Amino acid sequence: MSANAIPLIVEKHKRALHDGFHRWPTMGFRPPALGDARWPSELILATWVQAETGRPPQNGLEYRIGASGGGFDLLDFQFVEASRRVPEREAIDTSIRLNRRPYDKPIEIPIPWYGAGMSYGSISEQIMLARAKAAKEWRTFTCTGEGGYPDSVAEYKEHVITQIATGMFGVREETIQRAPIVEFKYAQGAKPGLGGHLLGDKATMAVAKMRESVPWVSLFSPFPFHSVYSVEDHKKHVDWIKAMHPTALVSVKVSTPTDVDMVAVGSYYTGAHILHVDGSYGGTGAAPEIAKKNIAMPIELAIPRVHRFLAAEGIRDEIVLMASGGIRTAHDIAKAIALGADGCVLGTTELVALGCTRCSNCERGRGCPFGLTTTDPELSGLVDPEWGRERISRLYASFQHELVDLLRRLGLRSVRELRGRTDLLHYRRPEATRAA
Amino acid sequence: MSTYQRYHIDTQAKPDLHAHPSRFRVKVRRSRLIGLLLQELVEYKANMPVVLSRPCVYGVFSGPLGGLAPREHLCVGCLRCTTQYPGIVQIHPNPERSGLPGTMIGPDAVDTILYEARTGRVPVRGAGYRGPFGGSGWDGMWTDMSEIVRPTRDGIHGREFISTLTEIGEKPMRLAFAADGSLLGPSPAVFPIQVPFLFDLPPQPVRSDPLLRVLADAARRIDTLAVAPVSFVASEPAGPHLVPLVRARDSWDGLRWMPRLVLLEDWDRTRFEEARKRFPDARIGVRVDAARDLTEMLSAGVRILQLVADDMGQAGGRFVGDVLQEQHKRLVERGVREEVTLLGSGGIGLAEHVPKAIICGLDVVGLDLPLLVALQATFRDGSIRLPALEHDWAVQRIVNLSASWRDQLLEILGAMGIREVRRLRGELGRCMFQKDLEREAFQGIAGYEG
Repeated sequence: MSANAIPLIVEKHKRALHDGFHRWPTMGFRPPALGDARWPSELILATWVQAETGRPPQNGLEYRIGASGGGFDLLDFQFVEASRRVPEREAIDTSIRLNRRPYDKPIEIPIPWYGAGMSYGSISEQIMLARAKAAKEWRTFTCTGEGGYPDSVAEYKEHVITQIATGMFGVREETIQRAPIVEFKYAQGAKPGLGGHLLGDKATMAVAKMRESVPWVSLFSPFPFHSVYSVEDHKKHVDWIKAMHPTALVSVKVSTPTDVDMVAVGSYYTGAHILHVDGSYGGTGAAPEIAKKNIAMPIELAIPRVHRFLAAEGIRDEIVLMASGGIRTAHDIAKAIALGADGCVLGTTELVALGCTRCSNCERGRGCPFGLTTTDPELSGLVDPEWGRERISRLYASFQHELVDLLRRLGLRSVRELRGRTDLLHYRRPEATRAA
Repeated sequence: MSTYQRYHIDTQAKPDLHAHPSRFRVKVRRSRLIGLLLQELVEYKANMPVVLSRPCVYGVFSGPLGGLAPREHLCVGCLRCTTQYPGIVQIHPNPERSGLPGTMIGPDAVDTILYEARTGRVPVRGAGYRGPFGGSGWDGMWTDMSEIVRPTRDGIHGREFISTLTEIGEKPMRLAFAADGSLLGPSPAVFPIQVPFLFDLPPQPVRSDPLLRVLADAARRIDTLAVAPVSFVASEPAGPHLVPLVRARDSWDGLRWMPRLVLLEDWDRTRFEEARKRFPDARIGVRVDAARDLTEMLSAGVRILQLVADDMGQAGGRFVGDVLQEQHKRLVERGVREEVTLLGSGGIGLAEHVPKAIICGLDVVGLDLPLLVALQATFRDGSIRLPALEHDWAVQRIVNLSASWRDQLLEILGAMGIREVRRLRGELGRCMFQKDLEREAFQGIAGYEG
């Protein structure tokens, strides 16, 4: 095949894909093989609509919950009577602070979420750029994940969290020094206790160079940090960052073991500004199936445990609790906050906005056929970073619109007032959901 | 000089004998496809690489006739083709895929087991969990993990060692010594196996000597046990991996060698005493319904019990995990748990069920139906059929499955920071139960009733 044909081929498929993302949600029937219990076909199509229009779908597509039969999918809000709702003319504040300590740099984001860590190699540079551009537009953050910091992303450094994980892949002094927030990833929800995993097919020359590894060889981040066996050791890590970059905020990303509440308290005492709890049902990377389903608890069950324990210790208002691992919709975000989180971290949702069908073939051969979780030159060309920015930005716009509407109907003027308000929630019995 | 060798299961790719129904059906509207090709011929001025470029990266449309004759066995369900061309191609779940009716093994579980038996590898996929939120039975349990404790995932990849060795037999709760240091009272009478699962007696419709020989050879290869009727065991050469199961009507007279373990079907005190005399150097176990009261057996000196559940994981009308926890706790309360070995049987469908059953109290988990799935048994109209078994192929498939399940057990143990599987037994504190977590998280929320 001549090299001249490749741009035409990419363009042809890109056009057809964009056409498909637009047409499917309006076709009146659902793709028969699309979706799963967590992301039913309607929710995927509804996310595509939001990424295109910036508003929730108006054609009856379910955009609020999935069909998992538990957790967020069984929680509803109990709205207040009309007289107590916030009038349309009054503004609703959706901002949150990411530093609640009385010292260090105050950082505030206008929406209670930012982008999750997805490494270069697990996703393409185009996707990293699209996410960074959207983060800049919304004055929030995205995260490098554990795979290095491509130079092209440096332009958006004020909106990029540098992640340090157990393999230290791509971690350099300059990438730590340029980051407003540095995140230590102790564990991740998709494979709690197992470390990162990049299969050999995706460790291309460019990826390996960035990670300072050998091309085409699978990369396993060890688990856990081999330099951390205690909270005191973790403090040493935090001190190391503060020595290198004194004004950086420190985030600690952990999974959801039985003692997640104790881990939270330990993180607080080491000086972390953000505790990022990643539940077991999320994740975008390759993971053993047995780990995804069976290890650690879902985020819905971890948030209240951590929130209450921090409150009981009298330190809840000094640390920011960010929740991730299965946050799919604006309603999930609101429910997570009502359960006790300050905000959420989005990963899969952003990929779905960019066309992910949740087919779970990210790790196979050339990687994602939609050009998302791949570094294959032809496939990654299917996503233009500017197009990606627009899709993510519009999804954010829709989420904010929905969140504002929820807060208004709950009689709250700020998303900060929603935190821990379980009295505003209603639990639907699983049988009632099935019947519905 | 002996050389230490780390325990390892040798795997070898063994393809399926016959194709399992593919996960998806690819339906193409040929007239529309031809129309599209003609349209693109004009649009791209007959630039054939562009015109013929297909949306599928898995080769479904790369056969000689392209999309006119899609190769649907290659379809992985990414849906890119139907996303791009919804009017031309549709991807459907294949209705021919089936699980095992009346068991906990559904179509996806069959796919998983076949992959494990083919490759011996741990199934790895992207994009997070796709299933329901928790669930009943084993699905309502989540295992713990540790943020900082070793052993680590390194253990799974060989730099550290996580032991899956389990001991079967009877042990005194403590050793007693005389003043001169000599041992007083009984010493442990146990033997080890290298994995905490054994190959249980296959169900009657497919039970045959060739199948039993496959399971016996696979058990020998990986150093575990295979349970077989005493008549079969008697006809085989002596082997420490064979466990004769003796029913009330069976005679053990033909058995000329001394097995390590003999299992008696159902409880009969006289038979138990006779077996002890007949097999003085063997351990004698009793196989009973998992929900049965064990008091009389324990009083009579039974110290190895195989607790049997049905194919749905039910015993006494309840989930076997709950029943096992109760049995385990009763043994603890009675002060004899360390003296007793609990073997399981039934209700195990996937690798994840093994650690969960051990957490509930089993020392060794019995496998049955997954072994038949690995050998590509078919389940139609309530009956099970096995294909004609080529012995070496079948043995390797079982070995592969065992390797995959052991590696998945290591994933669970590594995540928990547990260095040996024996420490997992009854470790309910390292497990989270959905009903408990939901009660804690949602108590006080309107509508939640516990």
